[in-house]
Amino acid sequence: MRFQHHQAALDTRADVAWMEVHTENYMGGGSPIRNLEAIRRDIPISLHGVGLSLGSAEGLDQAHLDRIRQIAEHIEPDLMSEHIAWSVSGGTYLADLLPLPMTEEALAVVCRHADQVQSTLRRKILVENPSTYMQFRQSTIPEWEFMAAVAARTGCGILCDVNNIYVSAKNHGWDPLAYLAALPPDAIGEIHLAGHSARQLADGATLRIDDHGSRVIGEVWLLYEAALRRFGPVPTLIEWDQNVPPLDVLIDEARHADALIDVASDGVCRADAA
Amino acid sequence: MGSVVPMLLEIQTAIRRDILGNCDETVVATLSDTLAPVDRLSIYRNTSRTALTNALRLNFPAVQRLVGEDFFTAAVDTFITREPPQTAWLDLYGEGFPEFLLGFEPVVALIYLPDVARLERAVGRALHASDGKSLEYSELLDIEPSDHGRVCFTPHPSVSLVFSPYPVDAIWRAVLARNDEALAAIDLSSGAVRLLVERRVGEIEITRMDVRRWKFAEALFAGRSLSAALAVADDPDATAWLAEHLAAGHFQEFTLSDAERPSFAAELPQ
Repeated sequence: MRFQHHQAALDTRADVAWMEVHTENYMGGGSPIRNLEAIRRDIPISLHGVGLSLGSAEGLDQAHLDRIRQIAEHIEPDLMSEHIAWSVSGGTYLADLLPLPMTEEALAVVCRHADQVQSTLRRKILVENPSTYMQFRQSTIPEWEFMAAVAARTGCGILCDVNNIYVSAKNHGWDPLAYLAALPPDAIGEIHLAGHSARQLADGATLRIDDHGSRVIGEVWLLYEAALRRFGPVPTLIEWDQNVPPLDVLIDEARHADALIDVASDGVCRADAA
Repeated sequence: MGSVVPMLLEIQTAIRRDILGNCDETVVATLSDTLAPVDRLSIYRNTSRTALTNALRLNFPAVQRLVGEDFFTAAVDTFITREPPQTAWLDLYGEGFPEFLLGFEPVVALIYLPDVARLERAVGRALHASDGKSLEYSELLDIEPSDHGRVCFTPHPSVSLVFSPYPVDAIWRAVLARNDEALAAIDLSSGAVRLLVERRVGEIEITRMDVRRWKFAEALFAGRSLSAALAVADDPDATAWLAEHLAAGHFQEFTLSDAERPSFAAELPQ
C-alpha cells in the first residue's frame, strides 16, 4: 500500500485480510503515520523494511533501528521483515538492496544483526531473499543454504520471495525448485510475488530484473504453487510499487493468489496486495 | 585493498565507491559472472541513482518544475555524488540541496531558486518531522518570575522560519498549482518575505510575518533568551506573540540560560 491508497483504504475498508507498507515511508510524524494508525484499527499491518542493511560489515544504524522500533510500538504490526542484503557503507545509504558475498563472514554479520534487531524489537522478524544480478568469487555458501542458516541460528523467519527466487535462478543458472526444497517450511512466515522485466545486455545475454512494475508472470505463478505445496498456506503479498495501478487491479492479482491458496489448502490463509 | 581475499568491509567499500561514480576495479575483480561485470554493476548503480533522484524530486517538486525535468535530473546527479544520504529515511534527504543550488553555476540566473529550495526543505520538515511533544504553557508555571527572562525555547522540529528577498511563497504556490498566469504576475522586486512554515491538521501552513514579529520569532527560534528576544522586538505586543507561539505548539521544550540574570524585564504571558 502506498500513500495514494490511504484514502481508498480508509473510505472503503478494503476487503483484504492485511496490508504491507514500507517501514521507511512512516518514519516521520504528521498525517502518514496517523493514517496508518487509522487503517490499522481495521486491517492488520505488515511492516516491510528496506533500509536496515542487515548485511553491512560496519554495523547497524542505531538511529534507524530506533525509528523502526518507534513505528512498531505505534502500529503493533502482525509481521515485520527485512532483507538479506546491504545498503549502507561508510555511513552512506545507497538506496538499493545490494548483494552479499555468500561467505561465513557475511553469514555471521547478518546473524549478529538479526539478533540485534530481534532483541531491540523484542519480536521475531522475517528475512527476505533478494533478487541478485551478480555473484562474488568469494562465495562459498549457496544462497538457499545461507537463508536456512540465518533462520536456524537466529530463530528468525523467512519471507520467501518467489519472484526473487525465479529472477536470481534465471540470472545465475540455479534450479528454483531446489532452492525451495532447501528452505525449512517451518520458518516460512510470508511469501512475496511480483512482476519483473527482462533486459538484453550488450553481449546478448538476458538479465531478469525485479522491478515490481507489472503482473506476476505464469512461470512465477507455477513456482508459487510449488511453494504452497511445500510450505502450506502462507500469507502472500503481491508487490507492485512501480507504475502503481489502481487498488482494484492489485486486489485482482491478490484474488488469483487466493484461488491458488484455496487449491493448496482449505483456504484458511488469504493473500493480499501491497 | 589490504589482503588477497577481500573481506566484506572491503567489498562493500569498493561497491559504494563504484555506485557513487568512482569506478573501482577492485569490485569488478571480485565478481564471478560470465557476463560483463560492468553491465551488472550498472544495474545497481542505476537503481540507486533513480531511487535517490526520485527522493529529491518528491522533496523539491517546485524546484523541479521551475528548472524542468532534464535539468533537475542533471543537477541532482551532481548533488547525489557530492552529498549522498546518511540514512535510509529519505523524506528529509536534501538538507544541503539549497546551499548546493546557491553555488551551482548553471542556475545562477534563477536568483530565487535556492530560496524556493529552502522553503521546500522547510515544507519537508513540516510534512515529515517527528511528532514529538509540544511545550505546554502549564510547564512554564513553576518558573520563578525572576527567571522568566532566562527562558530559552527549543523549536519543534516541524516548524521553520524562512527569510527571502523574493516572494518565494507566491512562487512556490503558483508553480505547484501549475498556474502560469499567477507565476508571470509575480514581481520579484515586491520586497522580502519572512515566513513561518508549520504543520497543521491535514495541511501545511505558510504564514507571512511582519518585521517586528519576525525579529522576535527569529531570536526565540535561534535559542536566545526570552529577555534577549523581547529586547530585539522592543514591542509591547511581544508577550502576546509568545502566547500565540506556545498555543500553536511551536516549541518543544525550554531551558534556563546560564547567562547572567538579565536586566530587561520579562514576563511570561498570563
